Amino acid sequence: MLYELAQSLTSGLLIGGALAVLSVGFSMAWGITHVLNVAHCAFAVLAAYLGYWALNRWGIDPLLALPIMLPAFFLLGVAMHTLLIRATARRAHDLGLATMVLTFGLGVVMENGMLLAWTPDPRVLKTAYSALTLRVGPVIVQAPHLIAFGLAVITIGALYLFAERTFMGKAVRAVWQQPMGAALSGIDLDRVTTIAYGMAVATAAVGGVAMSLLYTFDPATHLSWLVYVFLVVILGGVGSMLGSALAGLIIGLIIGISSVFIPLAWNNLVLSGLLIVLLLLRPQGLLQR
Amino acid sequence: MTHHTSRRQMLWAMLGAWIVALTVGACSQAPAAPAPTTAPAAPTTAPAAPTTAPAAPQGAAIKIGCSLPLTGAFADTGVWVQRGYEQWAEDVNAAGGLLGRPVELTIYDDESKTENAVNLLNRVISVDQADLLCGGYPGTAAAAQMAVAEKNQKVYVSMGGHMASFSQGFTYVFGAPPLMGQWWYEGLYGWLASLPEAERPKKAAIFTINNPVGAAILEPMPEELSALNIEIVVNERYDVPLTDAAPLVTKAKGAEADIFFANGFFPDSVQIVKAMRALDYNPRLIAQGVGSIIPAWVQELGADGYYVFSGTAVHPSLPFEGISRLNDVASTKYNAPVAPIYFIFGYAWMQALQRGVEGAQTLDQTAIRDWLKANQISTVAGTFTFDERGLPPSYNYLTQVIDGKVELIWPPDVRTKDPIYPKPAWGQ
Amino acid sequence: MRRGALRSFGLPAPDALIGIGVVLALAAVPLAGPGTYLLGFLFTIFMYGALAGSWNIIGGYAGYLSFGHAAFFGLGAYTTALLLFYSGWSPFLTLPIAGALAALFAALVGYPCLRLRGPYFSLVTLILGLAMYSLTLNLPFTQGASGLFLPFLRVDIYTSHVIFYEIMLGLLTIVTAVLRQITRTKMGVGLTAIREDEDAAGTLGVNATRLKLQAFMLSAFLTGLVGGVYSYYKSYLDPSFVFATSISITIALMALFGGRLAWYGPLVGAVVLSIVNEMLTTQAPPQTARIVFGALLIIVIMFLPDGLISIIQRRLPAFVLRRAKQAAARDEIIGNR
Repeated sequence: MLYELAQSLTSGLLIGGALAVLSVGFSMAWGITHVLNVAHCAFAVLAAYLGYWALNRWGIDPLLALPIMLPAFFLLGVAMHTLLIRATARRAHDLGLATMVLTFGLGVVMENGMLLAWTPDPRVLKTAYSALTLRVGPVIVQAPHLIAFGLAVITIGALYLFAERTFMGKAVRAVWQQPMGAALSGIDLDRVTTIAYGMAVATAAVGGVAMSLLYTFDPATHLSWLVYVFLVVILGGVGSMLGSALAGLIIGLIIGISSVFIPLAWNNLVLSGLLIVLLLLRPQGLLQR
Repeated sequence: MTHHTSRRQMLWAMLGAWIVALTVGACSQAPAAPAPTTAPAAPTTAPAAPTTAPAAPQGAAIKIGCSLPLTGAFADTGVWVQRGYEQWAEDVNAAGGLLGRPVELTIYDDESKTENAVNLLNRVISVDQADLLCGGYPGTAAAAQMAVAEKNQKVYVSMGGHMASFSQGFTYVFGAPPLMGQWWYEGLYGWLASLPEAERPKKAAIFTINNPVGAAILEPMPEELSALNIEIVVNERYDVPLTDAAPLVTKAKGAEADIFFANGFFPDSVQIVKAMRALDYNPRLIAQGVGSIIPAWVQELGADGYYVFSGTAVHPSLPFEGISRLNDVASTKYNAPVAPIYFIFGYAWMQALQRGVEGAQTLDQTAIRDWLKANQISTVAGTFTFDERGLPPSYNYLTQVIDGKVELIWPPDVRTKDPIYPKPAWGQ
Repeated sequence: MRRGALRSFGLPAPDALIGIGVVLALAAVPLAGPGTYLLGFLFTIFMYGALAGSWNIIGGYAGYLSFGHAAFFGLGAYTTALLLFYSGWSPFLTLPIAGALAALFAALVGYPCLRLRGPYFSLVTLILGLAMYSLTLNLPFTQGASGLFLPFLRVDIYTSHVIFYEIMLGLLTIVTAVLRQITRTKMGVGLTAIREDEDAAGTLGVNATRLKLQAFMLSAFLTGLVGGVYSYYKSYLDPSFVFATSISITIALMALFGGRLAWYGPLVGAVVLSIVNEMLTTQAPPQTARIVFGALLIIVIMFLPDGLISIIQRRLPAFVLRRAKQAAARDEIIGNR
């Protein structure tokens, strides 16, 4: 029992990291730019496919392809915000609701575009380190899990430092916490939100690569990933980067513990129940004041 | 006010033009899967077709319609079933048609949604006035479509997915052949029974996907395994998406199970097998549910998926007439090493329907049904007779993935390779 | 003098007259013998219209965006299905039980959950939907993942389509009438106040907690009724469809696409999206059809973020608009900014 618990917890915790990095951008976009980007995971799946092709066509590991993908996805996010979202925002009464429909449409377009490009066949990413493991006492750590977790730590850490240490980051935070005050103090709201949005989409690329290390994917996968994102964001609090990180880990822990002590079939019910209780106790997310 | 109106009209006009352009553009570049699909009404050149100098089909086309999941979650299998249907239509038209008339397929995309599947089947029946129905996909959509076909008294040949859908007293439905969860491991049980008891595994760990197909696979297992003196030490169901496979594997490992059943679909089974390797859990035998019979198991998972046992109702190496031709078609047309299972399934269902029509010499649905229930038919999937439920006697083959190929193991008369048992260590 | 002189003689407002005319015309459609497909397709449109309308009471009027209405839909569907399955009671009789159970469930979960604001409410309802799915899958008496087969209605196929068509049309009419009526009552004013500024609403004497709960229960009740009819129509149901998150999202999408601020918005959204999707499915190659559908959503929302009806409202003949404005002033119609 102790071995099983240790093994499940380790694996759950590392998976939680992947869920966190998949979600952090969604949370940022919602919190800072008020865009409910339902297509977030479609971007992640797109990145998973690009990583897969980089490896299978040119032998470039997805991790090495990430530095090229990041700026590309950033620009994609900037373009999306400039072309689609700002135009909508000018006319919208409630941007969150309008963008939910808008990005749902975008998700449908992307999913079926990927279907045309890459067929509906499911894909499995096989990297040089797919089968590597690390032994810590009796517990075995899988290399892909560890790398996905590392991606999460680096990405969320970088975002956090960006928000705390740089001028642009402070502007982003200001826009999130006090949009009116930020505008009054001379911050260009459009520019800041566009940049924040671009960064959010760029993190979807990291999330997609991290998830593709752990799971199979096909064009329709983005909808099931989106459910994870919702769970993480609800628990972590909308807009909170560290909240997403913590929430991802907690969800991983809950899954790890409940898998050992109760029948697997009841796992989702336990997870849902615990999340509802946590949410009622901390109605604004874990870390919010 | 007028200024606004004209601008808005211009926008709408632009939108309209853009959509038309997009539709036309995409139509022209996506010839592989048009819906509605119209098979060539006149016979085109078909070099490998098995008949000699047939008369060209004449008269009004026989309309055959259905819906398949061509986009969404089940698209990967739906597309192959569609290709099977289309291949059949091509072959029939090249061989003189059905009852001397050409056949014409109309296949709609139900987006993998049961809701659409029901409406589209109604459309096929009452708007398109289809003469015959082609079946849908296993599981929930097929069960719902069966009810529609039965209410409309239309013969409906499909895989069905679970026994429950064949136990409703429906008289017009046929599984020819079915993908029957309850029968999935028939071949495996048979082969295990042929082993000396000392060589059989002793303790089984069973993990089953929580959906209709999984429930069907699991149903007969306790009885069958106890008849083989195999004790079930772990028996659990899981929901998909499966977040983490490690707990499953540690449970089985902790219970020292030496036969492991992963009764699931492709994504979750891949995860489980990867976790088994990572956690260095190597039971004597790994058996897998419906996920490992799609080409991706070998092509995508590679060596980690080797030596896994599974079942199937159709197979590209079976000695039935027409199979080798389907293998050729699959490799020349679709660049697949052998004909995928769902390609064969689709082709076989249409053949079953064809036999019924040709046997009854009419398109009258009740006559076709009665003929099928009274006669033996042969298809690329084998020869079948049907009971009052529309099912053949229970059967299934045992397969094992060996060196990148899905080999037939049981029954012995169809064996293509000797099984590798116990399973070698991971990475060997 | 809150009502016009004509109204006091019992004559309804012009939009209601038009509505009654449309309903009567639709009710007569089966007489023309349109075939089972058209009846089935219209049944689906009515169903989504009724679902989007029910959703709109809490999601649109009150601004509490629920992502979990599949929980109520599925609860209604399973209630009538299980009562038929085990007791043989006709779903047409047990329908009120389906609605009542859904409303009761809404009351139980609504009381704590409606304290949550904005996105947090949306997400907790999403989880409720997932939890109900999981529960149904694992309870001993629901037949779990295998699903439930129900006996057919014992009439011929065309008649059975007509019966379900008329019943769903009736439900849609009820939902739409309720939606319209809400805009003319104190409840509507209160919900608008909650949507615009909940804290201020409290100071204006609106009992926000009670009102939200009432709206949530009403919404769940109507959704449960629709689910209760659906299970019988379909004659086979399993948890993965009736509790699907995609149902929750689809009905929210339809309401938002049509326009959530007017009573006819969700209906317009359901009708337009259903018809466009069906046309694309039957006329275009599969992937292209979906891509065009997605692109349409994007474009329409970019230019009409408050929903399709904002263009209808602007395009209505001047005298209709004038009448509507007068009516709005009289009856304090909520929503139409």
